[in-house]
Amino acid sequence: MTAPIPVSAIPSSPGRASWRKEAAAVLVAFAVLALLPFVVTDSYSRHVLIMAFIYAVVASNWDLSLGYGGVFNFGHLALFGIGVYAYGLLTKFAGIDPWFAMALSGVIATIAAIVVTIPILRLKGIYIILVTFGFAQLVMQVILSQSDYTGGTQGMVRIQTLYIGEHNMIRDGKFAYFYIALAMLFLSTVFLRALVRSRIGAGIIALRDNEEYAVSRGVSIVRQRIVTLAASAFFTGVAGAFYAGYQRNASIDVFGMSLATIILSMVLLGGTSTIYGAILASFVLTIFAEAMADLGAWRPIITALLIIGVMLVYPTGLAGFIQSSWNGVFRRDNKVA
Amino acid sequence: MALLDVRNVGKAFGSLKALDDVSFSVNAGEIFGIAGPNGSGKSTLFNTITGIPFGPDRGKVLLDGAEIQGKSGNDIARMGLARTFQRETSFDKLTVFENAMIGATYGGRQATPTAQRDNAAEALDVVGIAAKDFGRLAEELSVFDRKCLMLATAVAMGPRILLLDEPASGLTKPEIETSIGLIRKIAARGITIVLIEHVLTFLMTLSQHLLVLNQGQMLAMGDPKTVISDPRVVEAYLGTRKPDL
Repeated sequence: MTAPIPVSAIPSSPGRASWRKEAAAVLVAFAVLALLPFVVTDSYSRHVLIMAFIYAVVASNWDLSLGYGGVFNFGHLALFGIGVYAYGLLTKFAGIDPWFAMALSGVIATIAAIVVTIPILRLKGIYIILVTFGFAQLVMQVILSQSDYTGGTQGMVRIQTLYIGEHNMIRDGKFAYFYIALAMLFLSTVFLRALVRSRIGAGIIALRDNEEYAVSRGVSIVRQRIVTLAASAFFTGVAGAFYAGYQRNASIDVFGMSLATIILSMVLLGGTSTIYGAILASFVLTIFAEAMADLGAWRPIITALLIIGVMLVYPTGLAGFIQSSWNGVFRRDNKVA
Repeated sequence: MALLDVRNVGKAFGSLKALDDVSFSVNAGEIFGIAGPNGSGKSTLFNTITGIPFGPDRGKVLLDGAEIQGKSGNDIARMGLARTFQRETSFDKLTVFENAMIGATYGGRQATPTAQRDNAAEALDVVGIAAKDFGRLAEELSVFDRKCLMLATAVAMGPRILLLDEPASGLTKPEIETSIGLIRKIAARGITIVLIEHVLTFLMTLSQHLLVLNQGQMLAMGDPKTVISDPRVVEAYLGTRKPDL
């Protein structure tokens, strides 16, 4: 028998790192990233960082549905592709302002995610993979079939760039694009962490951990799955739109297995259900791949071996490695991410 | 009017009749026991009542006069019908407090976050989980503590009726004694209890009414002492005596 517990004495999230500490750490990390263009002055290195930020957005949002939600959504990259083409079509044919088109692309990807959620509401495991993979193929075929607008296999070219007043975005050494990509990653990260730390996030994890038990406690599978996939889609679509505006072209390669494998590697190497792990792995793999650019065919082989090695030693990925190292050095209590 | 009214419920898996024409009613405030040997349909009965993972093929289930068969499991839970599972079950990657908050937030009827936190903390207190353990991950708890946590998540919902599926399974004798005290404590809060157990002594200690199932059918129902002395119940549990050779 224990003494009654005054609720006021209970921390807001017992066992978790406090909001303030996490927010402070995120701000410091992004402040450091914001200083990088002053150190990294060549435009190619900045381009690599911009790509790492885009991948980080896509991978961390995939971590929400795959890691936290336990939904094997293999159509996640199709949401990115929808963002790419939505931006291209909206700016090129509808004449919509690029910034507005970027936000609208996120909304369109979110609607697409809700549509794909409906057939997978009652499915599990391999069947979800099949349906979501089929969804990705379907989107790609629709894009190919509308070649008058999408360019079909040739893709779309000369897509409108983003703008900031009269600033020349193309000849500034990718300075502006760097900060837009960084801002996008910051907003996405804050959104994802706020979500997974909220009661909605707890419901998402509960459903993943034990579906029947969660339902018996009032958690709705339908509502929770829709929320999970929709929430993982918005910034993925925005990232797609940004990618299209940045590269000024759209190609059906974004629906290919190659990109999906790279992003999935980032989610797994980083460690699922942390958000930060996927972001970190996106930086590591993107920069690592560029550093090995001269190795030709050895590059993917070495990358694969690196992933296998990390996963063997640290099954919880880079996030697990960092947490155990931190605990080992500072001997702190094992706070939950 | 009975709080829970089960009328002619049936459930079949192919040609196997797991439940056949089962009817009983539970009054508000009582502890109602359901006994039966392994495979008698006890857990299937709980599944059909709660809709988790399936409802009945036929028959009706009424909660406070409202039909609930055909509703989704989460809707039934929010109407005030909570259940536990035979095996210790938890949301492993959530902390103890977050586990209780799932019940309070999604299954409870308290609208404000503060009231939900109150319910979660009080439910954990009821089952004897100390505040120092609130931040631990559920997967770190012992079997008994996870069973207690499962009870707490149900209590946090503020249910009108709680269905307990073999709460004593896998527990030591002292833990079973503690469980009996816990169930009485929960019942004292005005929560009606329906209790499945194949350990008859456990049921005899707690139940005011007893239903015995065998092979999906009702074998006997009524006062526990009368029910367990029923020859059909004795036969179902112990078998028939071989004639002396």
